[in-house]
Amino acid sequence: MPGMQPLRALVVAALLASGFCAYGADSSSTPGKPMKMDDPMPIKMKKPGMKKGDVKKAAEKKEREMKAMMDKESAGGEKK
Amino acid sequence: MKKRGMESSLAEHSAPLIAKIERRLFLKQGLSLGAIALLSGCELTEDDTVQKVLTSMSRWNDSAQAWLFNPNKLAPEYPESAITKPFPFNAYYGENEIRTVDGSSYKLELAGLIRDKRPWGLPELYALPQTSQITRHICVEGWSAIGKWSGVRFSTFLERIGADTSAKYIGFKCGDDYYSSIDMATALHPQTLLTLRYADQILPPKYGFPVKLRIPTKLGFKNPKHVMAMYVTNTYPGGYWEDKGYNWFSGS
Repeated sequence: MPGMQPLRALVVAALLASGFCAYGADSSSTPGKPMKMDDPMPIKMKKPGMKKGDVKKAAEKKEREMKAMMDKESAGGEKK
Repeated sequence: MKKRGMESSLAEHSAPLIAKIERRLFLKQGLSLGAIALLSGCELTEDDTVQKVLTSMSRWNDSAQAWLFNPNKLAPEYPESAITKPFPFNAYYGENEIRTVDGSSYKLELAGLIRDKRPWGLPELYALPQTSQITRHICVEGWSAIGKWSGVRFSTFLERIGADTSAKYIGFKCGDDYYSSIDMATALHPQTLLTLRYADQILPPKYGFPVKLRIPTKLGFKNPKHVMAMYVTNTYPGGYWEDKGYNWFSGS
């Protein structure tokens, strides 16, 4: 069936291309589900009542606190 | 008389040794007391005053651990045959909720006491001298796993960017909102690694793509994944779990 050869080549090429795309996606970013912020954390380290969204809130608060202190530090306002 | 002379000579020689042992015992007992106090604190009360006392005790504990930390002592390394397969995933969210980071536009942001704050892209990081280690990740939850991590020695990176290595802390901000910080002595430890690969492959998202800080001398929660920014400071930065009562130093 010589007529099948180009078709087979096309299929192989398509498979290879999809493989490369999958590799690229794996090495950079694979879309994850959006985090359910109000759900409890699925980690044994958690303390009662801790939710996934708590980390983002704490990070934002920390960012504000650290920025103010580091600005002061950069200006030489604080000694080591 | 001769015996007494020998005894006094022994006493003279052993006095500094005894003092050293007593100091170590005091520290060990102090650390244990601190740990017990913290454990009790988890269960007994959320009272502000008690929390302040426990926090002070924990900070004292950090200082003692930092003082005892030997910057030249290496964590054990293992053969490839000892690698745990599959290496477990652990985070405050599920494996299907891993945050995605676009490697093509990724830039590691630098701030604080650093001479050259130019952000670093992945090609630049991959071009730095790389090293590998097969070490044990120890989780505070009570499990451990061995994995192969590769990347840039963190001390090399700190040198390249002109970080002030006389500063006290390095803080990290992560793509999944997590944050943590470490002491400078640990940052300069030869096994502390700005990790870019796992098992000789580009770091997969579940292990912290594009950049993870691997510190085999510290507990797992001190090994931030998806590191997006870092800063050098003398202001105590804490961390997410650390601010919730987990010991900040958490290392040996």
